[in-house]
Amino acid sequence: MRTMQTEVLVIGGGATGAGVGQDLALRGFQCVLVEKRDLTHGTTGRYHGLLHSGGRYVVKDPKAAEECIEENRILRRIMPHCLEDTGGFFVATPWDDPAFGDKFMAGCQATGVPCEEISIAQMLREEPLLNPQISRCFRVPDGSADSFLATQCVGESARLHGAHILTYHEVKHLLRQGDKVIGAVCHDLVHDEDVTIYADMTVNASGAWAGQIAGTIGVEVRVMAGKGTMVAINHRVLNTVVNRCKMPADGDIIVPIHTVAVIGTTDVRVPDPEHFAIEPWEVQHMLDEGEKLIPGLKNMRMLRAWAGVRPLYQETAVADTRDVTRAYTLLDHEKRDGVSGFITITGGKWTTYRQMAQVTVDRVCEKLNTQRECRTAEEVLPHLPGFEPHHQYHTLGARLARAEAEKGFGELICECELATKQDVERAIVQGQAKTIDDVRRDVRLGMGPCQGGFCTLRVAGMWHSLKQTPVETTNVTLRDFLQERWKGLMPVLWGSQLKQERLDELIYLSVLNVDHLPGEKASRLGPKMYEPGTEMTQPHG
Amino acid sequence: MSNILIIGAGLAGLVAGWQAAASSTRRVRILSKGWGATHWHSGCIDVLGYYPLSNEQPVEVPLERLRLLIANEPHHPYALTGLEKIAEALTALQTLCQAAAYPLHGSLEQNWLIPTAAGALRPTCLAPQTMSAGDGRSTAPMLIVGFADTVDFYPHLIAANLTQQGIPAQGLLLEMPALQARHFNYPMTLARLMEQSDFRAEMVQRLKKQLAASPALDKAERLGFPAVLGLDNAAAIHQELEEKLGRRVFEIPGLPPSVAGIRLHHILLKAIRQAGGEVYDGLEVVRAECADDRLMQVVTENAGRPRPHRADQFVLATGGILGGGIVTDYAGRGREVVFNLPITLPHSRLDWFKQDFLDPGGHPIYQSGIRVNHIFQPVNGENQPIYPNLYAAGTTLAHAEAIRERSFEGIALTTGYTVGQLVISNYLAQGGNRGQPH
Ligand SMILES: Cc1cc2nc3c(=O)[nH]c(=O)nc-3n(C[C@H](O)[C@H](O)[C@H](O)COP(=O)(O)OP(=O)(O)OC[C@H]3O[C@@H](n4cnc5c(N)ncnc54)[C@H](O)[C@@H]3O)c2cc1C
Repeated sequence: MRTMQTEVLVIGGGATGAGVGQDLALRGFQCVLVEKRDLTHGTTGRYHGLLHSGGRYVVKDPKAAEECIEENRILRRIMPHCLEDTGGFFVATPWDDPAFGDKFMAGCQATGVPCEEISIAQMLREEPLLNPQISRCFRVPDGSADSFLATQCVGESARLHGAHILTYHEVKHLLRQGDKVIGAVCHDLVHDEDVTIYADMTVNASGAWAGQIAGTIGVEVRVMAGKGTMVAINHRVLNTVVNRCKMPADGDIIVPIHTVAVIGTTDVRVPDPEHFAIEPWEVQHMLDEGEKLIPGLKNMRMLRAWAGVRPLYQETAVADTRDVTRAYTLLDHEKRDGVSGFITITGGKWTTYRQMAQVTVDRVCEKLNTQRECRTAEEVLPHLPGFEPHHQYHTLGARLARAEAEKGFGELICECELATKQDVERAIVQGQAKTIDDVRRDVRLGMGPCQGGFCTLRVAGMWHSLKQTPVETTNVTLRDFLQERWKGLMPVLWGSQLKQERLDELIYLSVLNVDHLPGEKASRLGPKMYEPGTEMTQPHG
Repeated sequence: MSNILIIGAGLAGLVAGWQAAASSTRRVRILSKGWGATHWHSGCIDVLGYYPLSNEQPVEVPLERLRLLIANEPHHPYALTGLEKIAEALTALQTLCQAAAYPLHGSLEQNWLIPTAAGALRPTCLAPQTMSAGDGRSTAPMLIVGFADTVDFYPHLIAANLTQQGIPAQGLLLEMPALQARHFNYPMTLARLMEQSDFRAEMVQRLKKQLAASPALDKAERLGFPAVLGLDNAAAIHQELEEKLGRRVFEIPGLPPSVAGIRLHHILLKAIRQAGGEVYDGLEVVRAECADDRLMQVVTENAGRPRPHRADQFVLATGGILGGGIVTDYAGRGREVVFNLPITLPHSRLDWFKQDFLDPGGHPIYQSGIRVNHIFQPVNGENQPIYPNLYAAGTTLAHAEAIRERSFEGIALTTGYTVGQLVISNYLAQGGNRGQPH
């Protein structure tokens, strides 16, 4: 068994864990981050894509709104290239109480979220597909965010400052010595071997899995998983984030991101973060609600569906010493459970990941008896190796402009998302991709309308030449990726997308016969499928 | 006014049109929204590649397994055509292609195992002459040749997989200045370049140089290329390459658009036109009109206005879900778009799919389609023909998993062939000889 030693061990490679890793590294701590799959494999890679202005929370949860607008401003400064400055609307549809608009305005004022009411005519000029029956519209500084890219960049910053990021390392259990956590035993999924990591301090940033991790040493952290399902529309039907102006509920936001627009979400408690379905009623519900914002949406082509899990922390004891804001939870297990060397950070939002990391590392400093200033609010994030640095917001045409400037359009591996041969090569080699799905997260390969129809074979071809591994591993990697795309297609396969998928079958089965290539049918690095849907379970109350 | 009007210009519609036009003097017309799966498929004619579907081993003798399939599955399109018609249709297509100087080789006695662009071996019944030297039942060493500055063909992946399956193979990427200079090098552009003799000469020269420089490569007894060796002169180009390179040469089918499929499409178009038939694309048929339970005309959506097309007999060959002849929606409903014919469909959307994309049994939704009687007339719940003058052919027919069976082209060809003949003979029997010949 391999062993490693570090000052701080961070568990979880989502936005929060990567943020903690970066903050630690910037403050000069030695740190190792372990993630059981690829970065953003958890909720961070399955969220809605909204850079909150705070507008959504001004009435329900003003504290959260304040945190959001504060972080919104910081993120616009440190990672503009991961954001689209779409702006946001809050709109009152005929199904919403127009009087809520006044409460909303007052809430924005109280929490400092910039807000302006605009005319319906102006709204329709900007977003002609919106329901003309909308009675009020407020403009706020929402945006959309690429959490794959952002987390990669945060991770890159952490690496540049000395952190070690170990992906495909799953924590099996924490190591406890008396009343102290001294590290964790991990399983390296790629090499199929165990690794023990000793650390002075262990930070549990595993989101909805936080209870499972703490449970390995008998510390009870009750985290319920709240599943949310989202559906991507094949077209970018809006250029502005659109929210319903009412108390937050299901299916009330549409976010334009890259080439698509995403409608979400539901909110359903599920027993654990690994086993849940995308239920047919959820998809139906998204379409029904979306229809209220954009008449005709139901008959548009849907691209894909996915679901992520919110960690819902529940107090277990009255005497729970919980460092709270309502938005996220920091548990100091020394104070709470008498177990030192261990803290848990969970809950929150993508938008507030940096602040969560900051308070966590502040606590680490306190525990390790040192005082070091947080610098993450000033540190502009690096670009990924090979990408031209630019300090502007990402815009829709940027990829095309780059492909044209580099004359790379003849070398497109994924035409839908404009990923070039160079991009893919970089993701495989420098990005040390372990699966084609890792390449997808890096360069958005296979995320467009054909969902891998053309690019999967091309990546497999490149993979084989670049990796120089036995060909069976390439074959299984290819099959895993086809299965990964299938996973999110099944819930929305009808109409044009069903036709498209049949073409993908024609290509991969009939023309290429990949189901009969040598090697295993699937690997342990392959996707975990959503559970099969059950007939029409009803939404919660 | 046509006597026979066929909707859909995929393999089934084209073959039906060709048969109908060739076997009578009636006026035959094909209307189509666009071209069909001929532009996507392998360019081979798969008749039956895996059967029963749970069997991982490819079918060696299609004839035997067809017998089994017909016995097991009385509603399968092959059970409706019958073995004889299957054999007849294959021979007819072979004769046609032979005359067009693009021979297709094979028979129901044995399947080929043709290498694919992933390096798998695909069982198929008829393969064009340009592909047959790749047959995986021989272990003669291969060199797989691709082109730098293209993105669809990866010789080393193919070679590694073939080697793994017992056929010694190497991969080579050739650099071609003509390709370097271009921005887009997709299959059709490559095929057009291949039609130019100076491009071929340069390719031969460069390849020979590589072969001469490497004893390992030089061992290859056959050379595999992407399936882009010319468009309408492929067989001649293929022969020229074999002569100049001094070894057998074969094409490997890969990502669409399929040059080899387009060749078949061109041959069929020509045959139809020579037999006096007409083919119009860009005409989407959106509905039909009838009188006294008989179909009178269909209507196409044109620029500016809908346009009626009258005919005596109609053939629907719109290709099911893939071809767009059957559309589905979020509520789990399905609809045949022209005649609103009843279709078979799993009861609930939850039953449409299996958990595994590559499930050997296939996804139930794709078996949905139109139910027909023994003479390919769409029927209602009581098994009665819905219209006396309507027939259906191709992969729009229910009760087959054409992609899992590897019967995709076989079903289109044999049902198109059968229906093309049936529609004429029934028409004449119904007194259609009164109609005006063109
Ligand atoms: C449906 C939905 C929509 C959302 N939309 C938005 C939005 O639009 N805007 C916004 O700001 N926020 C949004 N959020 C919230 C936001 O996505 C999350 O708060 C954020 O992504 C959480 O990040 P995290 O790093 O804490 O958790 P995660 O991203 O879940 O990271 C935890 C990581 O720990 C890993 N892990 C688990 N167990 C182990 C183990 N044993 N060993 C090693 N690693 C392990 C997991 O693989 C995972 O990658 C949304 C949340 C949901 C559920």
